[in-house]
Amino acid sequence: MRPNFPVRLGAAEQALIDQLKSAGADQAAERISVAGLPTRRVESYHYTDLKMLLRAIPALGQPANEASAPALRVPGAFNLMIANGVIQNASTAPAGVIVGKAQGGVLTTRDDVLVHVNNGLAKEALTLTLENSVDPVIQVERRIEGEAAHVADALKVFVADGASAVILETFSGSDAAHVGNHATYMALGKNAVVTHITLDLSARGVSHFATNEYHLGDGAKLRTLIIHAGAGLSRTHLFPHMGGAEAHADVTGLNLVSEGQHADITMETSHAVPHTSSQPLFKSIARGRSKAVVQGKLVVARDAQKTDAKFMHQGLMLSDEAEILSKPELEIYADDVVCGHGSTCGMLDEDSLFYLLSRGIPKAEAETMLVRGFIAELLDPVEDEALNEALQGVVDGWLLGQ
Amino acid sequence: MTTPVLEIRNLHARIEEREILKGVNLIIPPGEVHAIMGRNGSGKSTLSYVLAGKEDYEVTEGEILLNGENILEMEPDERAAAGLFLAFQYPIEIPGVATMTFLKAAINAQRKARGEGELTTPEFMRLVKEAGSQLNIDNDMLKRPLNVGFSGGEKKRAEIMQMALLKPSLAVLDETDSGLDIDALQVVSKGVNALRDGQRSMLVITHYQRLLNHIVPDVVHVFADGRIVESGDKELALKLEAEGYANYGGEAA
Ligand SMILES: Nc1ncnc2c1ncn2[C@@H]1O[C@H](COP(=O)(O)OP(=O)(O)OP(=O)(O)O)[C@@H](O)[C@H]1O
Ligand SMILES: [Mg+2]
Repeated sequence: MRPNFPVRLGAAEQALIDQLKSAGADQAAERISVAGLPTRRVESYHYTDLKMLLRAIPALGQPANEASAPALRVPGAFNLMIANGVIQNASTAPAGVIVGKAQGGVLTTRDDVLVHVNNGLAKEALTLTLENSVDPVIQVERRIEGEAAHVADALKVFVADGASAVILETFSGSDAAHVGNHATYMALGKNAVVTHITLDLSARGVSHFATNEYHLGDGAKLRTLIIHAGAGLSRTHLFPHMGGAEAHADVTGLNLVSEGQHADITMETSHAVPHTSSQPLFKSIARGRSKAVVQGKLVVARDAQKTDAKFMHQGLMLSDEAEILSKPELEIYADDVVCGHGSTCGMLDEDSLFYLLSRGIPKAEAETMLVRGFIAELLDPVEDEALNEALQGVVDGWLLGQ
Repeated sequence: MTTPVLEIRNLHARIEEREILKGVNLIIPPGEVHAIMGRNGSGKSTLSYVLAGKEDYEVTEGEILLNGENILEMEPDERAAAGLFLAFQYPIEIPGVATMTFLKAAINAQRKARGEGELTTPEFMRLVKEAGSQLNIDNDMLKRPLNVGFSGGEKKRAEIMQMALLKPSLAVLDETDSGLDIDALQVVSKGVNALRDGQRSMLVITHYQRLLNHIVPDVVHVFADGRIVESGDKELALKLEAEGYANYGGEAA
């Protein structure tokens, strides 16, 4: 063990401490003054050293009085918006959806600085109760507008037994050095079926942090798709909790990084009861000097026999200077389980490229086809046509925007 | 004299410092079908890759003229647009790329390169349906990702279907017959023969004389150690079948 030197606090940490104190979150402030921001010595931040990467925290966000263009329009979607942490009035909710507000943060307390900060600073949470099968895609837009701001916001979703929904969260706003700290808590009742897509389309100057917590009841089915395609620094921390027999989660995500960007998806799935399964599948595409990280941890409780879980991360390097990093972890206390992990990383396959070229397809187009092919596995399961098209558009836009 | 569709002059090529093609000379006039037979490892696929422009190979000497135009400086996609088609010995599986998307991209890219307009979706669908039915390729196969999970024979039929759609002036078929059952061989041969129109030329690489009963060649060449060592009419294939390659030097494989 290292001796417990008091840590040296930087400007970012000091700002966080002040902001937390002003919000009455003294415990969270105290925790940061003792431990500081996590460095790479903290396992779950191994490749995303916040102390290094987060040098400044802007002032707490004030209610917005201007708005940027919507990040993504999905025809037919029901739209909700949280701007600078303030829940905006919405149009009439579709059948089966109850929209509300709740006080304070939504995340289960755990020893994670971003969780502490969110719980300490989020003043109100948008709540959604889904009573049955909801037809339209529910889009929750989270915006940070105006001057550089530090914003913590929160969403809490209850999905009733047997209900189903597709929920899309988009993150965007003005082009400034914002720090966003976003929380999502989602509880899926028995046999509920949810697709949850989060799409970061923030400006380059933004540091985007999201923490998603999922609780799955008996027979619940969850599919996530986390897409990082905007902020200079982005990190989504996923905590799926498989708490009901026959629950299944397809936890998927995609890091798209270009020159100077750093994106991190870190997952910790806990299989808490017998007979649950999860299929975490992540992909990263990196070009320029950039860094994409995926960490996946599977925790299987002593009782959770017959757990079936396999973590996979596939990386595609479009430049020699890019870095794609993988860290799988298995923490298994049960003895009758099928768990595994794998990762691959490579450039575009030369033989595939030659095959396409030999049919007359020009190089740039052939490369685009192969990259699309690489991520088809993640986008294809999104069944809503308008949403699928919109997401494909985001990916195509990224591919074109060298 | 009319311009040959393909003219190869003293072609030398190597891969990773190793010379594989050692002075290939070949002329294929319009409308002719030439067969190449030769031992495993003699360089037949290498010739087909060098024709198609695969990057790994370095051409150290010689020329390749397609319809009188030197194609050595062209990229593979430009060669395809100029009328060259290679049916691969081992077609590549590309997960995530739908066969239909691929076919449409290929046809339209070539049309565009030739200054023709893109096909509309109905036009495209009709062409694919026609070509597919001639080669016993059903719609389910076309819905799958490109070549993924296709059987060996299905892959070969899919190659010929691409050829039928792309209508090249020179088709190089690298062991298209290998892996085909007797019926599929008939189907594929019929598909190939349907494209013989007195103008289009073909270079058919095969190990088996049997294929040449179906696709009757104008000339048969024997390939050994990186060059053509003998040429003759279709009787030469029968002679090879009977005698093997012992007369052409080197060791038996
Ligand atoms: N990447 C490579 N590096 C070194 N040698 C290679 C490479 N690729 C092919 N070769 C060699 O080139 C030679 C010719 O191979 P090629 O595939 O052209 O033969 P072929 O006549 O098509 O044989 P087959 O009848 O078995 O298909 C072989 O000896 C092969 O080992
Ligand atoms: Mg060969």
